[in-house]
Amino acid sequence: MHPVLLVARRDYFAYVGAWGFWVSLVTAPLLLAALMFAPVLLARAEPPRVLAVVADRAEDAASVTEAFSARALADARGEIEAYLDTTAPAAVAAALAAFDAAPDRAAAIAAARAAVAASAPHALRAFPQPSPRYFIAAAPAPDINGLKPYLGGARTLPDGSALFGALYIRRGSAAPLIEYWSVNLQHDEPSEIARRAMRLEMQREALAAQGLDPAEADRLAEFSPAIVQFDPRPSAGEGQVTLRQRAPFFAAIALAFVLWSVVFSVANMLLSGVIEEKSNKILDTLLTSVTPLELLFGKLLGVAAVSATLFLFWGALGGGLLSMAASQMGESMLGQVASAFIDPRLIAAFGIGFVAGYLMYGAIFLALGSLCESIQEAQTLLGPVALVLAMPMLLIGPAMDNPNAPIIEAASWIPLFTPFLMLVRAPAGLAWTEIAGMGAMMLVTVVILLLLAARVFQAGIVNQLSMSSLFGRRARKG
Amino acid sequence: MNAALEAEGLVKRYGARTAVQDLSFEVPRGAIYGVLGPNGAGKSSTLRMLVGVLKPSAGRIAILGGPITRASLKRVGYLPEERGLYRSMSARGAIAYLARLKGMPASIAFKRADALLDSHGLGAVRRKKIKTLSKGMAQKVQVLAAIAHEPDLIIFDEPFSGLDPVNQRVLEDTIRAQATAGRTILFSTHVMEHAERLCDRILLIAQGRKAFEGSVAQALALAPSAAVLETEGDFDLAAALASRGFNITPEGAEHGNRRWRVRLENGLGSRQLLSACVELGAPLSLFEPARASLHEAFVALVGDKIAVGGES
Repeated sequence: MHPVLLVARRDYFAYVGAWGFWVSLVTAPLLLAALMFAPVLLARAEPPRVLAVVADRAEDAASVTEAFSARALADARGEIEAYLDTTAPAAVAAALAAFDAAPDRAAAIAAARAAVAASAPHALRAFPQPSPRYFIAAAPAPDINGLKPYLGGARTLPDGSALFGALYIRRGSAAPLIEYWSVNLQHDEPSEIARRAMRLEMQREALAAQGLDPAEADRLAEFSPAIVQFDPRPSAGEGQVTLRQRAPFFAAIALAFVLWSVVFSVANMLLSGVIEEKSNKILDTLLTSVTPLELLFGKLLGVAAVSATLFLFWGALGGGLLSMAASQMGESMLGQVASAFIDPRLIAAFGIGFVAGYLMYGAIFLALGSLCESIQEAQTLLGPVALVLAMPMLLIGPAMDNPNAPIIEAASWIPLFTPFLMLVRAPAGLAWTEIAGMGAMMLVTVVILLLLAARVFQAGIVNQLSMSSLFGRRARKG
Repeated sequence: MNAALEAEGLVKRYGARTAVQDLSFEVPRGAIYGVLGPNGAGKSSTLRMLVGVLKPSAGRIAILGGPITRASLKRVGYLPEERGLYRSMSARGAIAYLARLKGMPASIAFKRADALLDSHGLGAVRRKKIKTLSKGMAQKVQVLAAIAHEPDLIIFDEPFSGLDPVNQRVLEDTIRAQATAGRTILFSTHVMEHAERLCDRILLIAQGRKAFEGSVAQALALAPSAAVLETEGDFDLAAALASRGFNITPEGAEHGNRRWRVRLENGLGSRQLLSACVELGAPLSLFEPARASLHEAFVALVGDKIAVGGES
């Protein structure tokens, strides 16, 4: 067997044989799933935030309280609709019609559930039990001064719950004034709900002052135009943008995140592998059998095989789940997102991006590792390097908003960022010629980086060039 | 060509510092060859150049009759001074891996590893990971890894360091056995006794330069010979011999007798010393010519300070 393959084989089995590898293999998808679903689950698990409303006029307090009830009703409707979109798209219309026809929130949820039970019983198992985000409690004191002990946590409400915030609607000679009192300074959504409620109340008053029916304000507030978004590109077909058109963007972001995580995880393996060999004093033994370049390529190949194992496992797992979702759920939201992953442009961008990204970052990390004597030394060096390497991820946010923004287009041609930004840009009409151009550019960069890394690697492991020697102190050898 | 290894005008510089300066020597095939010198003399740099790990700043090296190439290095076994193995590999796995890197087929490499471990008393730990072995065991495994592919030329850098006296003896036996099998062995050490016991020829290095190359007997001949004497009672031999030009130093007392060491130099030999003692009526209870050591030869060649590690 060629020495490069022998080195690769040894490294591969060393990593795959470590129990940590199997832990990562299994836990990574679980952690990813937890990261995706944790915010939703946490939000659902949170009890309603208790608010109190006091007002100079009882009508104002009633309006604001009614606005919070309407909000809770809308939230419940939205949650049920989103759930049915992914699980039983055919049942959405009937369920929402039943929901809308019910007299109150609890009855609406029950009606929607009954409708789903009739048409799509399989969707009942995880049918949501929406919990309102806010609960308007009876104010335990008539004014803000009386409420302050409750707001500060010194006292609790009669049922034992804490008062999250209080709204005080003042009436003077001018426009109504909404005071929002809360120790949770970052959260001001209640004041916005109250503002909309009071605006409607002011509109009612204005209509009444003109001798018109105040209820007209409520009817006017319900007017809302429909919005249809279009994509003018010929490839967009009918042009109307639906979830099917947006799904590839979600898929691209998810793949970019996976690519970034894997590239840096395996690049770190290369770094720690070289440092381990340096600290184990095995390099001199190896170097009588393999050249530094063979060692470098053997290591790259070995860890590439580790990555391939990860992708095969995760790919089989994810692919199985996605194809199951696509076949079971058809036109549902999850089904559309699932089929978006099977886009050839996305797969090509991911494949090219992984190979090039792995080789570029692998070469850099191997070179750095060869200059370090210990993991501690490498960590001090990696701090600033990691900040630079995190930049593509910082650009993914703006890229989601506008993948064709000039800064994103320009950054996607910076070789170290290309693998990730090419992927994010792929669904936004990235031409095959651009993909090929970026691939060629990364290929040139890979060759240059590998040549440079080989020189640094050789200097680091053969001549004992180290970070300390680079800064003036030459390594000494007897 | 009869030399297993030839070095001519070797120079190794690290920046402004010269570790090895104009070093030339030849290692005959089948010989046990010692490279001796204090710490920092340039031994490891020399050996690393011989196995192609370091590129010489100047000079020429020929191993097994040709330049250093991938093919010739496959016939070389090397134990570096800074040694180590993959800690999570088994003993047999580590030996077989390094043998396979030298070109040995897998099936033969594993059989050879098992045989070597068995013959060196490590058969019971063949499947144990290196990290679970004692330091001495791990070092033995590394020695076996260096010879597993049955190389023609074996180069050991300070092979005895870190071994207890029993294992040092075992390693000496291994080296002799390899030589008996027709292999050439070159090893470096700063402990002269190992070289005295094992080597056919030696190279003495001090401050990166060759101080001596030749047989052990030739080196010992360069050391001033001496004699150890004991006199009865309180006879002052030093005072008596001073006028005869002998360099004499007291070495304490033994069983009530005074002990003396006389350096035999400036043309004065043991015969002249004995005659002088008889003439002076010295009450001798012991007259014993002392065998010179390699260390004394080295001191005589390079001076006391350099011999104990004078390189900066």
